[in-house]
Amino acid sequence: VTPWAADPEEVEMAELYVKPGNKERGWNDPPQFSYGLQTLAGGPKRTPLTKRIAAPQDGSPRVPASQTSQGPPPMGPPPPSSQASRPPPVGSYLASSVKPANLPVMESETLLEDVLKPLKEALEDCRGHTKKQVCDDISRRLALLQEQWAGGKLSVSVKKRMALLVQELSSHQWDAADNIHCSLMVDHVTEVSQWMVGVKRLIAEKRNLSSEEEANEETSTATAEEFQTVPGVQEAP
Amino acid sequence: MNGSVFRTMATYLEFIQQNEERDGVRFSWNVWPSSRLEATRMVVPLACLLTPLKERPDLPPVQYEPVLCSRPTCKAILNPLCQVDYRAKLWACNFCFQRNQFPPAYTGISEVNQPAELMPQFSTIEYVLQRGAQSPLIFLYVVDTCLEEDDLQALKESLQMSLSLLPPDALVGLITFGRMVQVHELSCEGISKSYVFRGTKDLTAKQIQDMLGLTKPAVPMQQARPGPPQEHPFVSSRFLQPVHKIDMNLTDLLGELQRDPWPVTQGKRPLRSTGVALSIAVGLLEGTFPNTGARIMLFTGGPPTQGPGMVVGDELKVPIRSWHDIEKDNARFMKKATKHYEMLANRTATNGHCIDIYACALDQTGLLEMKCCANLTGGHMVMGDSFNTSLFKQTFQRIFSKDFNGDFRMAFGATLEVKTSRELKVAGAIGPCVSLNVKGPCVSENELGVGGTNQWKICGLDPTSTLGIYFEVVNQHNAPVPQGGRGAIQFVTQYQHSSTQRRIRVTTIARNWADAQSQLRHIEAAFDQEAAAVLMARLGVFRAESEEGPDVLRWLDRQLIRLCQKFGQYNKEDPTSFRLSDSFSLYPQFMFHLRRSPFLQVFNNSPDESSYYRHHFARQDLTQSLIMIQPILYSYSFHGPPEPVLLDSSSILADRILLMDTFFQIVIYLGETIAQWRKAGYQDMPEYENFKHLLQAPLDDAQEILQARFPMPRYINTEHGGSQARFLLSKVNPSQTHNNLYAWGQETGAPILTDDVSLQVFMDHLKKLAVSSAC
Repeated sequence: VTPWAADPEEVEMAELYVKPGNKERGWNDPPQFSYGLQTLAGGPKRTPLTKRIAAPQDGSPRVPASQTSQGPPPMGPPPPSSQASRPPPVGSYLASSVKPANLPVMESETLLEDVLKPLKEALEDCRGHTKKQVCDDISRRLALLQEQWAGGKLSVSVKKRMALLVQELSSHQWDAADNIHCSLMVDHVTEVSQWMVGVKRLIAEKRNLSSEEEANEETSTATAEEFQTVPGVQEAP
Repeated sequence: MNGSVFRTMATYLEFIQQNEERDGVRFSWNVWPSSRLEATRMVVPLACLLTPLKERPDLPPVQYEPVLCSRPTCKAILNPLCQVDYRAKLWACNFCFQRNQFPPAYTGISEVNQPAELMPQFSTIEYVLQRGAQSPLIFLYVVDTCLEEDDLQALKESLQMSLSLLPPDALVGLITFGRMVQVHELSCEGISKSYVFRGTKDLTAKQIQDMLGLTKPAVPMQQARPGPPQEHPFVSSRFLQPVHKIDMNLTDLLGELQRDPWPVTQGKRPLRSTGVALSIAVGLLEGTFPNTGARIMLFTGGPPTQGPGMVVGDELKVPIRSWHDIEKDNARFMKKATKHYEMLANRTATNGHCIDIYACALDQTGLLEMKCCANLTGGHMVMGDSFNTSLFKQTFQRIFSKDFNGDFRMAFGATLEVKTSRELKVAGAIGPCVSLNVKGPCVSENELGVGGTNQWKICGLDPTSTLGIYFEVVNQHNAPVPQGGRGAIQFVTQYQHSSTQRRIRVTTIARNWADAQSQLRHIEAAFDQEAAAVLMARLGVFRAESEEGPDVLRWLDRQLIRLCQKFGQYNKEDPTSFRLSDSFSLYPQFMFHLRRSPFLQVFNNSPDESSYYRHHFARQDLTQSLIMIQPILYSYSFHGPPEPVLLDSSSILADRILLMDTFFQIVIYLGETIAQWRKAGYQDMPEYENFKHLLQAPLDDAQEILQARFPMPRYINTEHGGSQARFLLSKVNPSQTHNNLYAWGQETGAPILTDDVSLQVFMDHLKKLAVSSAC
């Protein structure tokens, strides 16, 4: 039985996965959870395993009833599924709902141009508003992205997520784009660290630019929430 | 009779749970003995575990300031226990009985229009203060470059990654060290400059600030107040810059970091100037951002080997001190190094900053000497084998995790103040804090933990940080049960929220007094044995830091025997008649496992490991602390759903899978038959799909624990006969050993090769001593 991951390539495709730890460098290194799993908001929580039973007061252990009658350990096969009285295993949500196999497989290869073009356009939008040196710096990192992509150095998973990031950026979903950037930095830092910071900065600059533009149109509704008082207090002093 | 006792138990368990969820408090006693003499006879002190910033998704903070009692020596905060005269607009303080006028803003209040802080469900409430400037959070990385290439690369990537997780407006700085210490100037211009210091000479804060050109005149710390940002000297921005401005340059700077260039000859350790590097980090923040939330994050891959704070020399043939060396007074550098780090830790605490230590190496790195840096400032301590492990990487990521509101789960610069009603005094606290030495009227002369004060400073904390607070009942014997029948305690935590707001969390609780002579059963039924075990364990571990191990064990034993004498039911001199009621039934086994735990036993652990285990034990909440004392053991089989089983060798059965959680390790153990079935590959046959599910179930459960735990635990997947099975075998109660195996007959459970005392023998001795009139 493989603990969680099946085919590594397939697993990397998904954003929710667990891969084994680095057993060579750390003894009993725990498995590594992807960014998506780590930040999974309050997934189906099972009852925490924190129960204890009291030892009998004379301190002698109770031997489970099922065991005493069985004698020596059974050497035959395990009970086949049809006979098993065992209820289905409790909420193994990762095993069932998040199996990589359930996720849609990309039919077509992500194209470099589809990712790079919108990023370059976004950078052009920022020129004139953002310091030249910052723009040049971003530009340099986009070139690095281009070079590594073209050189076949980026994994399918990184390319796929970059395509999603660009989509979010183009539709002004800043938080979503930023979140994908974080997931790439956490899950694929070795591949992306050199140029991703340019993309990160681009998201931030583009966001600033668009909020400047919107500033006159409407006041943000987000702050209203911040000032809520406790229900029942009419006149908060 | 029995029925009503059971009902009382159930009610108390619910009461305890509700109070923990609402107020983040667990008391050893939930009905309080009303006199000093009776309280001392209860053996376990009146104390509580307090989680000051416990996550409360259902508690939005209020956007106004608390109302204080006008008596200068009291200043308690208006709370649901106060008597209110709505017509006269007066309230009486429940701590000092002072009558207070409500402030003008409260003129509209009435029985039907109450402010939140008077409603019973707001026994815990949080205020957001509008005053005071908000300054950004500060993260200062102090990075060891004497690492192997592979480790340095992994660490660099983790640091680059962290720039994506930090709040964008946070200030970040970088100090690197090996033989020399380099303070890096961060600029947006692309040219990076650094200031180099020798690692052999300690410098005063003043010298460091002069050398770095931080021209701000030295301000005595006591007078420094968080001021508006413009008060901070502009020069400081050369070393501490907002992430969103320098992320690109810092990414490059980190990427270009090289291993320490000084050659290390064969048979030598690299020269590592950890002591000076930390000193410069502390001095830099001290001079630029006192009393503002800041983390110094030390990443180190080996022991300090030169300058102040050195723990071992550079000769590899001389090993780093062991417990044996310490016992023989043969740890040459220990005292001096400890003194250096204690000095730094105390200065850091005074400045309101915290120090994290991330130590990744196969050998010891000096955590024993450096532990105070994290322990006194509320910083994290993480110990791993290498920076290139998932254990380090994920633990580090989790530092930047966010709560249900999207806020970072970290808070800074907290002060905790404890106020009590007159019949109680505060004896001390144990946790990641330092004393503020405030001797109010409610401070006891008898100290438990860090005492002599009713205020403590917690420089870094998160929603699980938990302190043990110890009290003393001071009401005289034969005096009547105090007026009103209830005693009260108020916990006031002022802190800097990760959003940089200043906030005050106030929790006010009350419990009934009872006369211990006529109402002992009430007191007994309201005993919280889990809280009591953790609170006693914290006292034990606190003592173990300064006393000999055997003395601490003897003290714990004596307390346990006295507790059994007081609350057991027995006939004198008849051990077989001994019984404990349900509310005490788990307590002896907690003490049994605590005695064997790495918090009190140093055998088989290095001094660094002991420091690491104790660090976590002194700050986790009740549930996690209890897991550390007595690990959790669940059993999986075809006979039914997973069930908790005794942490006992009798639970190790051939047709079971066990899942053990010790907090620091998660162990999955396949019984003999299960292991054979797996080897035979039944899990891959469709007709045995249920076996596949059986194998999967504990893996899924383990995964859920791994996903939530901080720091990441080690993960051990083993089976009957596997060498790693020792992790399970060393934790279970050795009820069957090679010594008594034949007495047990059939192969039930697994005999353990040990001469350790089993729980059964322990209990027999305990009963004998408890019923004996000689004690």
